[in-house]
Amino acid sequence: MQQGTQNALFLLLLFLLLTCVGCAQQKTDVSTLGTARETAGGQGDEMDLLLSDDFFDDEFDPADEVYDPLEPMNRVFFEFNDKLYYWVLSPLNSAYSTVLPVDVRYSIGNFVNNLAAPIRFVNSVLQWKINDAGVVLSRFLINSSLGVYGFGDPAWLEFGLEPKQEDFGQTLGYWGVGEGVYLCLPVLGPSTARDAVGFAGDAYTHPMVYFVDDFWVSAGYYSVSRVNLLSLNPDVYEDLKKYSLDPYVSMRQVYLDYRRKKIDDNPSKLRSDNAL
Amino acid sequence: MKINFQRLFYIAFCLLCFTALPAFASPGPTDALKPTLRDIMDVINDPAFSGTEHREDRREKIMSIAASGFNFGEMSKRVLGKTWRGLDQQQRGHFEELFTKLLENAYIGKLEDYSGQEILYKDERIKGKRAAVSTVVKDNGTAPLPVNYVMLEQSGGWQVYDINIEGVSLLRNYREQFKSILRKEKFEGLIKVLQEKNASFLEEES
Repeated sequence: MQQGTQNALFLLLLFLLLTCVGCAQQKTDVSTLGTARETAGGQGDEMDLLLSDDFFDDEFDPADEVYDPLEPMNRVFFEFNDKLYYWVLSPLNSAYSTVLPVDVRYSIGNFVNNLAAPIRFVNSVLQWKINDAGVVLSRFLINSSLGVYGFGDPAWLEFGLEPKQEDFGQTLGYWGVGEGVYLCLPVLGPSTARDAVGFAGDAYTHPMVYFVDDFWVSAGYYSVSRVNLLSLNPDVYEDLKKYSLDPYVSMRQVYLDYRRKKIDDNPSKLRSDNAL
Repeated sequence: MKINFQRLFYIAFCLLCFTALPAFASPGPTDALKPTLRDIMDVINDPAFSGTEHREDRREKIMSIAASGFNFGEMSKRVLGKTWRGLDQQQRGHFEELFTKLLENAYIGKLEDYSGQEILYKDERIKGKRAAVSTVVKDNGTAPLPVNYVMLEQSGGWQVYDINIEGVSLLRNYREQFKSILRKEKFEGLIKVLQEKNASFLEEES
């Protein structure tokens, strides 16, 4: 048993080392990509980003857009997560959705999001998005009080304050840290070296760690929030599998596109909405 | 004096014609997109086409509308990239047919679940022969979903060749998948995988 944990630790260390090397290598690639987009994008707002890369055209070969040297290992974890989904998460979700009506599940989702507000606040500030930080703070105060401990979202419904999504991975990206190797983590799903570090960092801005000392309580909280999220978006993973010829590649691309947009967004936000 | 008035009127009329004509001849990207999406939604909401017994007719009708608003040829070309240039005419046609079928199976199947949505047109940006149109799909009860269309202007006017939701591009996603398959199994392998995928939809339906 002890041998097993030692082995696991060794593997984890090796893995971190590998991702760090990947990080260092990738950094230059991604930064050049960023500038290429910026110059092509002109104003660099959301509409321009849509038109910025016409890499479907002739010469440009986007072979270096995805850095996935750990693909064989990632695919193993992808399969693992796939089994986890069909054997555990999906049945669990069916039971969960039968027991709890959708309104209650929405409320639980609101509560989970509201509790994570400190992560969004800290990271809005770290990216110098002062207006967003204000919105996050107002939302937290309104929803915690009027929304009864965050179970409701009157901040959006009554005051029109839209939720913001910020995390430490985005902050790192904002300050120029490359995404590093792509990772498909067991249980946690798609990530990159940068976002995995960000995820670990976010754990320390979440109020949970300061109030709950028990690993199993935290793990339980994470599991419930995960199943709750799935119950509100039941088709996402199954659709992805249904429509794709290679679900692993499809999910990787969805994740990278989504994260890149979240981070590419920032310069324009900095200029327009968040000018001090 | 009277003649002058007539002449003025004539000049004004001519000017009006010349400036108005191009607007009638080729509608902008948003104006080209609107009727396509409206007609597709109309078919989906039409009781005469609803239910599983009308699936064949419905699909056919939707695809005939989509064929004018979406450029499946351009999609096929761009999704294959370099590989496209090495193909002969027959292979290209075959691929386009299979890829169009895949899009039909995947996305119309998904669209059929929806009804009563409202599409808001937010913004439009033209850059040379390409344009982006941003829309928001509003559905009762769920959060509004921003859907962006990337379009290309050709002789047939503006047509959609990519859909982008929250930064996730439909075409890029398939492109990466195809690239991964092409690397290992070449074009013949890709054709086989596409055929199998399309067959899996048929199985599921029956």
